[in-house]
Amino acid sequence: MGTILIVDDTLFMRTLLKNILFSGGHTIAGEAANGEEAVAKYKELKPDLVTMDVVMPKVNGIEALKAIKQLDPAARVVMCTAVGQEQMVKLAIKTGAKGYIVKPFQAPKVLEEIKNVLAS
Amino acid sequence: MKEIPVKTEHEGKWIVVKAAVGDDRIVFPAPVNKEILFKSIFDLDERKSILIVSAKGNPETIIKIASVEKVLVILKRLFLANCNAYRLMAYFMSPAIRGGVMIKNAQWEKGSIVVVKTGIWFVSAVKQVCVPLTDVAAIELTKRDVQGKQTDVVRIDHVESGEVVSSMVLCPLSTLQVLANFLKDTTKGIDMKGTELDALDQQVAMLVYSGMDSHAIENMLSIPHKQLDGIYDRIIKLGIAEVMTIRREVQLTTKGVRYISDATKTQTNQN
Repeated sequence: MGTILIVDDTLFMRTLLKNILFSGGHTIAGEAANGEEAVAKYKELKPDLVTMDVVMPKVNGIEALKAIKQLDPAARVVMCTAVGQEQMVKLAIKTGAKGYIVKPFQAPKVLEEIKNVLAS
Repeated sequence: MKEIPVKTEHEGKWIVVKAAVGDDRIVFPAPVNKEILFKSIFDLDERKSILIVSAKGNPETIIKIASVEKVLVILKRLFLANCNAYRLMAYFMSPAIRGGVMIKNAQWEKGSIVVVKTGIWFVSAVKQVCVPLTDVAAIELTKRDVQGKQTDVVRIDHVESGEVVSSMVLCPLSTLQVLANFLKDTTKGIDMKGTELDALDQQVAMLVYSGMDSHAIENMLSIPHKQLDGIYDRIIKLGIAEVMTIRREVQLTTKGVRYISDATKTQTNQN
């Protein structure tokens, strides 16, 4: 179990992830609606893990991932992508993402990926 | 012909027979007395460890075969290589994504795609995976990064034990288009306009897919039970969802209230 920062520009997806993660016994450290906010919240909250949407306004998920990795090279970030964004996933993994989940989510699979990344 | 011991269903009972397997046929001896030419097989389905073979004839032959995995693998390979089906050589990755999570270490395998009456088989030297057409959720000609290049692939999504599993097929673009069109035509019964659901209905459908129960959905979307019930009715009517359980909400009758009041008194007195 860990403290998790949820980053997604849609309230619906944040709420969905929050429910899934909460049901898995995780603590929600905070939420951010764009990459810029994500980096600021990461500095402030130091969560065990970040779930990061890729496509977001202002600063996108990849840029936010880079910034978080610069702040903390050991940061655990799981990217949330839509089907068909495999190129983004590849880039994110190169940039240091520890895992990825594809929308639409299924709770058991999301929790399994989070568990694996937290254990890594 | 080689003899292989298999179990087969005969007159409602499973019996053990030694089936004779040749280059072009399989023969089941008495009391089954059936001979099936591989080229007459138009459908092959696998449920748990049972192969269901359908072959043309008058009447059509349907035979169920159960055996150890090793034997079933040999039979499937023979049937799929020689049956009457839409077949193409391709690279495939199955499964590539399961329940929204990409399969780690998923690799492209060289093999063939065999489309029979009720399913799509992904066949390689080491794998025989069947996707029943009734479980196919989406077929899309899309692009995927293959060895650093954006490459055309067909993505086939199917539902397996309640979760969406995606498989990818890679072959020349012209063949992919033929495959995508063929599969779309075969599964056109599931096609929808995309305008049947409003935004709230779509959110409910997504939450159902995510595994949320009705209470969680009501809380998340801040909607009353009656409204959710109406949305459920709509998505069930559209064939998007099906009823899993009907949960009853009850309230105590006077008799019930009296019963638990008495029980509480008894417990209090005992303490």
